[in-house]
Amino acid sequence: MKRSRYVALLAMGASALALSACGESETPAGVYTSVDQCIADKQFSEADCRKAFDVAKEEHKKVAPKYASKTDCEADFGAGKCETAPYRTSSGGSTFMPLLVGYMMGRSMGGQSAFTPQPLYRTPGGTNFRTGDNRVVTNKTGLQSVPQSTTSSAFKSTTTSRGGFGRSGSVYGSTTSSGRTGSSSGG
Amino acid sequence: MERIAVSPRHDWKKTAEEHGFDFHSLEGDPYWDESAYYKFTLEQIEDELETAAENLEEVCFDIVDRVCGSEELMAKLAIPDEFRDYIADSWRGQEKNLYGRMDFCYDGKGPPKLYEYNADTPTSLYETSIFQWVWLEQAMERGLIPKGCDQFNSLHEKLVAAFGKLGVDSTLTFACARDSLEDKGTIEYLADCARQGGLETQSLYMDEIGVDPEGHFTDLDDVTIPWLFKLYPWEWLLREEFARNIPGSGTHFIEPAWKAILSNKGFLPLLWEKNRSHPNLLPAYFEGDPEARALGDSFVKKPLYSREGWNVEVTVKGVTHAAKDGKYGAEGHILQAYQPLPDFGGVFPMCGVWLVASEPAGMCIREDRNIVTTDDARFIPHVILD
Repeated sequence: MKRSRYVALLAMGASALALSACGESETPAGVYTSVDQCIADKQFSEADCRKAFDVAKEEHKKVAPKYASKTDCEADFGAGKCETAPYRTSSGGSTFMPLLVGYMMGRSMGGQSAFTPQPLYRTPGGTNFRTGDNRVVTNKTGLQSVPQSTTSSAFKSTTTSRGGFGRSGSVYGSTTSSGRTGSSSGG
Repeated sequence: MERIAVSPRHDWKKTAEEHGFDFHSLEGDPYWDESAYYKFTLEQIEDELETAAENLEEVCFDIVDRVCGSEELMAKLAIPDEFRDYIADSWRGQEKNLYGRMDFCYDGKGPPKLYEYNADTPTSLYETSIFQWVWLEQAMERGLIPKGCDQFNSLHEKLVAAFGKLGVDSTLTFACARDSLEDKGTIEYLADCARQGGLETQSLYMDEIGVDPEGHFTDLDDVTIPWLFKLYPWEWLLREEFARNIPGSGTHFIEPAWKAILSNKGFLPLLWEKNRSHPNLLPAYFEGDPEARALGDSFVKKPLYSREGWNVEVTVKGVTHAAKDGKYGAEGHILQAYQPLPDFGGVFPMCGVWLVASEPAGMCIREDRNIVTTDDARFIPHVILD
């Protein structure tokens, strides 16, 4: 048969709200506090453990919450648990971020982690590992099921400018078009 | 290949609207037209159209590889200087592609000839994938067409599967230009496929995308966009204000940047230059190339960047037929051999073969009453029946 066995649409013509009612899906991830712990667990190769940690360290700079004062940072993460962040405030002052206490990595898919390895944080007295945007991942190390949303490489930022894309459509989509939908970017 | 008249389903408009296909007509004229269908043999589909698409995809990749290693060829394709490395890196880094559509001139007898490859932002996807499929099932059920018909159309299944394999590790953001109902319908459909493939999605307009102080692109909640499906041509993206942010943004684009090479009409002469005996290619040359004289007095002139037939000029036996006048053409032109579409009783069908993750996945037929297929063409369903 040369055609699809079924075609089904989740939401077209229906309310997209129906989707958010679904339970959140989980995904397997290796959660470790150090490269040594990862290697000892034998779920991942030594090379994968090291590579994932390096990536998580880089991500750490980007996704860790930033504070304008060390006191504020330590209020959230505990005394001695913060470091200087590699960013300055707009007035030139230092910024601070919590120390990375662990990392998580995805199962290998064709030599690549299923998602970008992520740094993990922990609040004082808390047992849960959390992502940079404060989502609970798990309270255990080793190979775990974690909420899929926590493996995301997206992070909360600030937007300084919008509207730098999207103008060509109005330039090239001629108003003389007798096309069925006006200016389309397709072809 | 035959064109067969058939009764439209009496309730097709209602069915279309129920399926979210709300651009089925415009200005009163139906774009979806089920008063006829095209019938193919399985051999025509498998041995001719599918094989041509599969084989050309490989041939195309050889040329992309060549362009990525050559400043000169990048310049010939009018790819802006500052993005050449970025594009080449996207190819060498094997950034995955999702889909494309090859438009063929095919009459059911000779080999299909490639007119062009819409590799970056092809539309008419939903009507191919879903509405044509629904028509087939209902038309068989109601006895409008013979039982046992099949269709070259596993587009939906292949799209769902492909989204799951792209390696997306965050919400996948879909974006298109404002003010096009068709483009919006297309990204809504693709986002639906992506969710069925296990991804989380969100949609916005291109002009809603922002940048943060480190140059990442952001959505309306100021969250970065690590994965972006853009139904927006690369040649437009690379010439807009935020273009300079693209290489350092960390955003994975679908389609990837190397599609800027494939969707460029200048790709056609490069293909021809290296594959002059290929049964599925038409001779093509850059304008001004002395070799273009080989085309004689009948040829088609296309701007390097052109969409939906805009500014495509047809010259037959020295007589030039006026182009649909748009704003393309500033970057130069190519000339392609004139190969008229087959005449099926005053209408001219063009076969669009879809590829998903580089595999042939389905077909749409758009029929025009004009010599150049434009966005005024009507969509006619097809069946396979031996």
